[in-house]
Amino acid sequence: MGGGSAAIEISAPLAGTVVPLDEVADPTFAQGILGKGAAIIPAEGRVTAPADGVIDVMFDTGHAVSMTTADGAEVLIHVGLDTVQLKGAHYTARCKAGDKVKKGDLLIEFDPAAIKAAGYDIVTPVIICNSDAYSAVEGAKPGSISAGGALLTLKK
Amino acid sequence: MKTIEYTITDELGIHARPAGLLVKAAGKFQSDIKIASPKKEVDAKRIMGVMSMGAKQGDLLRLTITGADEDAAAEEMELFLKQNL
Repeated sequence: MGGGSAAIEISAPLAGTVVPLDEVADPTFAQGILGKGAAIIPAEGRVTAPADGVIDVMFDTGHAVSMTTADGAEVLIHVGLDTVQLKGAHYTARCKAGDKVKKGDLLIEFDPAAIKAAGYDIVTPVIICNSDAYSAVEGAKPGSISAGGALLTLKK
Repeated sequence: MKTIEYTITDELGIHARPAGLLVKAAGKFQSDIKIASPKKEVDAKRIMGVMSMGAKQGDLLRLTITGADEDAAAEEMELFLKQNL
């Protein structure tokens, strides 16, 4: 676990435009049912590890991945809304449960244009599933972000 | 202790949304609620655990509920499973 009261930083898993979670058009995310976080409208089709840690769940459909960071944060990256319905089309998983990853390692590749063409919103929520473990989960300001930039700050 | 068994009929199984809703439903109760898929047993109040079961259509889920409000919890969780999975 992170030492003392130091804040934990979760990086952007992809480049794009940050939007507040409550503006995401899916109540499961917008209402924080899966936890607090932020969302990114992707500008690229690669999801990379937002911190060092271990992959917990790589969904068979490739549309979402979750990991526990070395600091103990449980992060869910969900590429697009309702995209479980695509049943794997336009997504390629590049990791599996149990993999140890470093920040920046490739986790998922996807085709944003094809997913949009299929009628789906590609906004990608990045959620802290164990938000209750932190006094605050703060998102970056809305606007452009590069992959690896500071997206979320967690305070004990 | 109360036990519930339910076979998933939803073709998408337990993905992110149903996992979140299941944890929210379980979190309303004080009782300890465990949920098991054919792969593993997890705490039904932890999203990461519930997602990691990898529960698919046709999988048998077994819930084990222990605590002061186990009767109410069992009733609500059974209803949740029928309505959502």
